[in-house]
Order: sequence, then structure tokens, then C-alpha cells
Amino acid sequence: MATHDPVLQVEDLATYYYLGDRELKAVDGVSFSIDAKRTLGLAGESGCGKTTTAYSLMRILAENGKITRGSINLGGIELTTLSEEEMRKLRWKKASIVFQYAMNAFNPVLRIGRQIVEVIREKGDYSKEEAVNIVSELFDEVGLKPERQTDYPHEFSGGMLQRAIIAQALACDPQLIIADEPVTALDVIVQNKILDLLRKLQEKYNLAVLFITHDLSVVAENCHDVGIMYAGNLVEVGNVEAVFKRSLHPYSYKLIGAFPSVVGPKKRLEFIPGTPPNLMNLPKGCRFHPRCPFATAKCATDVPEFREIHDGHFAKCHYAGELDLGGGA
Amino acid sequence: MASSEPILKVDEVKKWFPVRSGLFSFGKPSRYVKAVDNVSFEIKKGASLAIAGESGCGKTTLARTILRLIEPSGGAAYYKGENIFEMNRLQLSELRLQMQLIFQNPFEVLDPRHTVLDLVGEGLNIHRIEESDEVLHDRVISALEDVRLIPAEDFATRYTHELSGGQLQRIAIARSLILKPDLIIADEPVSMLDASIRTEVMNLMTDLQKEKDLTYIFITHDLAQARYVGDYLIIMYLGRIAEMGPMEDVIHKPQHPYTKALVSNIPIPDPTVKRERIMLPGETPTPIDLPPGCRFKPRCQEFGPQCREEEPQLQEVAPGHFVACWID
Repeated sequence: MATHDPVLQVEDLATYYYLGDRELKAVDGVSFSIDAKRTLGLAGESGCGKTTTAYSLMRILAENGKITRGSINLGGIELTTLSEEEMRKLRWKKASIVFQYAMNAFNPVLRIGRQIVEVIREKGDYSKEEAVNIVSELFDEVGLKPERQTDYPHEFSGGMLQRAIIAQALACDPQLIIADEPVTALDVIVQNKILDLLRKLQEKYNLAVLFITHDLSVVAENCHDVGIMYAGNLVEVGNVEAVFKRSLHPYSYKLIGAFPSVVGPKKRLEFIPGTPPNLMNLPKGCRFHPRCPFATAKCATDVPEFREIHDGHFAKCHYAGELDLGGGA
Repeated sequence: MASSEPILKVDEVKKWFPVRSGLFSFGKPSRYVKAVDNVSFEIKKGASLAIAGESGCGKTTLARTILRLIEPSGGAAYYKGENIFEMNRLQLSELRLQMQLIFQNPFEVLDPRHTVLDLVGEGLNIHRIEESDEVLHDRVISALEDVRLIPAEDFATRYTHELSGGQLQRIAIARSLILKPDLIIADEPVSMLDASIRTEVMNLMTDLQKEKDLTYIFITHDLAQARYVGDYLIIMYLGRIAEMGPMEDVIHKPQHPYTKALVSNIPIPDPTVKRERIMLPGETPTPIDLPPGCRFKPRCQEFGPQCREEEPQLQEVAPGHFVACWID
């Protein structure tokens, strides 16, 4: 496995928010890595910590959020110990982030091209003309007409804005793109066009992509690997086929089974009874045990270890590999 | 005879919104956004109809027009034989007891200053259904039990901030059920919810339908959801029905080029299923100043000469399966 270094390596990352004297463990002990040209889908229900994980990587947490432990290694640089100023220089150049709401990402009163030029000139030593030329090339790359860079954001449709944001994310030649629900607000056909574009650019520029979404169907079709999060823990990681077809963690298995499909026989789906725990008042032992149909006395007391069960397929469950979960489908 | 009578029959319903014109357009002909343009369909009692399409296709406007939450621009909608568009206020108020609407976002619908008891009982008060406090309380409790919020007595005293998204949406459903409706129009009822809770609410809705003999119109942008809850499907494009028919027919044997593209683009939660996606050029335009002929033509890959001239009408291609397209 370890013949080359991954672009991103996250080890035991924990990020807590502080509300007065109370501690909210939004991300608690998350480890994963992403190679160049690979996409890791990070999925889970609202509040499971997937966005906090992304914000931790970019160090753009809210003021009351702190990385309390762990390491984030991006292309050989340890991000958790960098100063604010060093981190600022790295953003966009090493890693960029694409947000969900394309319509809110640009300043509505400035021309789109100018906003991207600003990023390019801030991060690199370019003249205005050079930067404008780079934007033209980028627009061409993402399927926008270069002359549209003088448009204002309201003149673009949702899909075009998302393309412009991808152009901006690529502007400084990063190694890692974090895409936080990049297509959730778009209609399916446009959604797939954007995803195809991301895939094409990933191949061309050797990008590692962290793809954050709540929709496992999108993960199944667009990611190489998938990580499933639950209540601040990463409960399972592996390549998509292994995780979907040979789930190791009962939560992943149940979550995958809750998605309806337009193919295959129509059947009644099962849901997971109950709701995720309050992150300020977590259950002892395995965080999923109160909702887990396989839970034993051990699960209520001992925190399971996150361990490799098969080659590259990890799970955080005492009984991973022993439970008969069949497949996600 | 009476059994085959549709509970709701929608006949050439139109909703055109005038485009606000500028100072210098004085004297020019008015322009309209044809949000709903000649839509006809019917639904039998106990059926579950899903209306699907992308944003801006008119599915929500259609629902609101049928309920007369907004005034129609033309056509007729018959509820049990009575034309909704000719009803007076009193009749409409009666109608809305029988036809209930469930919205997408339960967080916005439910007033955070009221207890669940007040929220669920609100409809009974609004419609001045004479009940003593005890009877009202009992009806609320039984409505909460219907949506599986148990222990109901405990839930009745809570406020919305003490409840999860899935529980709130179940309260929204209980608010409708307490009025004993026949027809429920649900506008993206689970889109705000997480996957597992979404399935839980959809299962609940399916069970309630059988228990209470309800008729559903389920509006969604997600064909996988539509297939899960509906047995009949309408696909809308720019204010018109492109295709409609029995659910499995339309999903597995789509006839309209738009439906074909839409179905092929729905992501499948299984990485081993590989499919050919049909891509459409461009994005859905706004339905203002539509070109003559078929409104899908500018994005269609299969069009012929006739598509330029005339708007295609719905034709029956298989029993109950209708398609509005010139291409065979």
C-alpha cells in the first residue's frame, strides 16, 4: 500500500466546539487518507461532523471551534501547527474548497472574472493581464465562454455558477479540492454534468478530492472510496464497492439500505429507529449502540477501536467482520 | 359507476404569472410566465400520484392552484365532481378540510411558541369544529398516535425545539390527519430530512394511506422518492405534462426524451450498477416567450420537423401511459 505518500493524511483528528464551559465533540478521532486522482466521499446524516472535518482541514472553523488533537498532513506539510498567516498562504494554493450554495459564493456586485483574478494575484506573482488570461483558460476548461468573465453573478445560472466556482478553486493549482455538497442545490442533469467535469479535471490535474455529501447514491456513482461518519466518529472507510456491498459497520449497512432506487425491484426499505445522540451528552461505549440491533453489553461500555478488517477496509465496531450483514443492497 | 369516479379531476388548468414590465414597454403585449400551462389529469380514490420534475417545472404551482391558494388563470379542477375554481369562500373552507397540504419545511410551518397540543389542534379551531376541550385533547392524542409519536401525552406538551426534524414532519402530518381529509397533497415532504428519517416518514405515509384510505399527491424532484411512495407518475417539464402513466411503466419504459434523460440521471445507491446516462444540452429555461412547437425542442436530441410547428398533445401509448411527443 504505502509505496507512495498520499496527498492528504488525517490522523486521529478531533475538533470540539465550546459553548460556554460545555464541550461539543463534533469530530472525535477521525483518520483517513486520500491519494492523487482519488475521490473520498465523506457521508453521514446532518450533524455527524462531515462539514466540521472539512472546515478543520482548511482551518476555517468558527471562533469557538478548536482542533484539540490529531494531525493533518497535506503534501508533506503539517497543517495543525501552522500559524494563521502561514495557513492563509496555503489556502487555495494547496487546497481549495467548493461550497454548497453556488449563488452565495460570489460577491453579487463584482464581476465574476475580477473576483477570480483577485484570488490569483493574491496568491501568486501575476500581472493583471496574466491573471485575466489564466481566468480565460480556466473558464474554457470548465465549459464557460471566456468572454462571460465580465458578467455579474446574477447573469449566471446555478450550474454556470458552480462551474465558475470550480474554476476559482483550480485557479492556484491546488493538490486537494474539498467539495462540500457541491451539487446538492442543483437539478439532477446539471448535477451530473458538474460531477463529470470534476472527474475530468481531477484526472487532468492529479487532484485528490474530498467529497462531502449526505447522499449515498451520489457517492456510489462518483467516488472511489467512501467514509461513513456517525456522531463525530468515522465508523467505516473503504472502497465504495466494499463498503456498499460488504458493509462492516451496522450503521453503514442500515444507512445504505435506507436509500430508495429507481432500479431493481420495489421493496419496503428499513430505517434506523431513534435519532443520533446529542454531541454534548454522548452515550458510553460505542456511540451507535443505543440504535444498533446487534449491540451487546460490551458495546455499552467499551469504545470500539477503528481497525483494518480487510485490506484498506476499516471499521469502528467490536464485531466488524463477524456480523452477518449481507450486503448494502 | 360511483367507484370509478375520480376523486380529483384536473382539466386544462393554467396558471400564468404576468411579467412585471418596465416603463417603456407601455402598449406592448403583456408577457407571461406560463408556470402551469394546460395540465389535465385525474386521480382515483385511494391512489398515490407522484408529480415529479426539475425546479421550475410548475409542480408546486400546480398544487397551489388546485387548492386555490393562488387563483387559476384558466381551466377547471373537480373535487368529487364539484368545480373548485367556482367555489365560494364557504365551500372552499369546507373543501380544505378534505384536501390537506403538507409542506417541505416543518421548521417554518410550525410556530415555535405553541405546544404540540395547540399546533395539532389548531386546524379544529380554525374550522370551528365544535368540540369540548376534552374531546379536542383526545383527538390530538389519537392523531399523534396515528403518526407514531408515542407516548402521545408526553409529545403533546412539548415545543418544537424539543423535537427532531422527522418528529416535526410527523406533527405536520398529524395536523392534517386530525381533520380527517380524503386527499393529501404533500409538497416535497421529506426533502429536508436525513435519509433514514426520510424513509421512516415515507413508510409512515404509506401505512397511513392504507389505514385511513387516503389519496395522495406527492410532489418531488427525486424520482427515487417518487417511485417509493407513488403508484402513478406525472413528469412535468416547463409547465406541461411530458409523460404520465403507471409508475413502473414510466420508470422502466420511459417514452419522452426528457423522461428518458431524467431517469438515466438519477443516481443509484449501488456502485456495481453501471448505466448509460443521457445528457441534455443547456439548463431548463424560464417558461417566458416559449418558442412555437414543442417546448422541449431546444434541448431535445431526437426532434423532427413537426416539433418546430406544433405543441405535441398527450397520446396514449400503452394502457394509462400518456406521452406528449411527436417522435414515436
